[in-house]
Parts: sequence; structure tokens; C-alpha cells
Amino acid sequence: MALITVPPDITFIVLAAVAIIGSIMALQAKELIYGAISLAISFIGIAGFYVFLDAPYLAMLQIAIYVGAVVVLILFTIMLVRREETDEMVDRPEGGEGAIGLWLAGLLSVGIAGVAALAGPNLPNAPPPGNLPVSELGPVLAVEYPIPLIILALLLSAALLGALVLAKVEK
Amino acid sequence: MVALTSYLIVSAALLGIGVYGLSVKKNAMRILFAVEIIVNAANLNFAAFTRYMNPPSVSGQVIVFYSIAAAAMEACVGLALILVAFRLNSTIDVRKLNKLKG
Repeated sequence: MALITVPPDITFIVLAAVAIIGSIMALQAKELIYGAISLAISFIGIAGFYVFLDAPYLAMLQIAIYVGAVVVLILFTIMLVRREETDEMVDRPEGGEGAIGLWLAGLLSVGIAGVAALAGPNLPNAPPPGNLPVSELGPVLAVEYPIPLIILALLLSAALLGALVLAKVEK
Repeated sequence: MVALTSYLIVSAALLGIGVYGLSVKKNAMRILFAVEIIVNAANLNFAAFTRYMNPPSVSGQVIVFYSIAAAAMEACVGLALILVAFRLNSTIDVRKLNKLKG
């Protein structure tokens, strides 16, 4: 029973446009606040990709952590560090910097995309039927990767304490 | 249906955008944006590859789970660093934060 009858190709193109234009706007928007909001829109596009890839748990995590926590944290920090000069700092590259950056980024992404396109005939054209349900994720997380989970917990508390110590105002 | 190559190309485009931002931008916040975009490109690749695996597997989803948690930590510490840099120097322009330069 398909609730959405849009062809998958069109869904994919729309999601790709949202993700890519959102991230370009995040870097090029004049106001930093608009950039942060564009970043949130780009993250929502990636969450759409996760839904499209039958990973609803990842889509939920993406929206809860990235859009819900990281972008809101970024917005608060922007409001704290706002000054007239940072506001007017349009951040356009000077001289040859922009061209060098464009060449670097273009070569890297065209190279990787070219390798992907060359390998295209050997890669699957459609996802195999019969995707695993979300409930498969728990056993894999707890049985196959228990040590990384514990390390992650330690790392999370260390990062939290570190951020607190860094941002503390010393009297 | 959508081929695996399409996801790889979208991911490569996001990586290129992120690398451009990392190499050109002067505002520390924008550099943080660029890092987040690169991390998302990598996560998208993991999710795509694990969906196209035969027999089906969710290992890639677990890796993305860890990656999202690590990226949230990175954003948290990075924002704290930006706050400290702003408090000490009254600017977050990375070209002016060069006190460590000999």
C-alpha cells in the first residue's frame, strides 16, 4: 500500500536539490542566521534521503539531533557572538582564494563522482527487495558493536565536560 | 528505481561544497557549517551503501548512528571554542586569530 505515488526519480531529484541548494545557501547567505536556517533545510533534505533509503530511525535521529539540537545551538551561538562587524563581514573570498577553493572542491567532487559513474555498471541499479525492519538495529547495536557504544558514551560525557570547562567564565 | 551511483554523486557534490567552504571562508561559524556538511555527505554514503547490500544489513545504519553522535559532540566543542575565541579577541574571523603564529 503506497501512500505516496510520486515516482521515485522525481522524489530523488527534489531531495537532492533541497540538500545541495540548502548547503550552498548555508555558505553563501549574507546573514549568518539565514545561513544556519539554510543548513537546517539541507539537513531536512538529508533526512528525506534516509526515509527514501528505508532508514526511518536515521531520519528521526537526523531531525532530532541535527535540526533539533545542533542548529539551535548554532543559532544561539550566532546571537552571542553577533557584532556589527561580523554581521557586515560578507565573507567574500579575496583575490585568487575563491578560484583556488573552487578548483580544489571541483577537482575533488568531480573526481569522486567520476569514479562513481565509472563504477556505475558494476553497482546495483535498484535496492534489493526485503529490507530489514527497524527492530533489527537494536541487536546489531548491542551484540555486534557493544564496545563502540561504551566508548561513545564516555566520549559524549568527556565532550560535554570539555565544552562546559571551555565556555566557563573565569572570575 | 534510483541507482546507487546517484547517491554517490549527490554525496560527492555535498563534499565539494563542504571543501570549498573549508578552504575559502573566513568566518569560524561558516567553517563549522562546512564541517557539518562534509559529515552529512559521509553519512549519506553509509546509508546508501548499506541499503543496496545483498543480503540486507543494517551495519551501515549503526555506523551512521555513531557518526551523528560524534558530529553532535564536535559541534558542541567547536561552538564552545568559538565562544572562547570571541571572548578573548572580540572577533571570529579566522584570519585575525593568529596569536599562535610565531
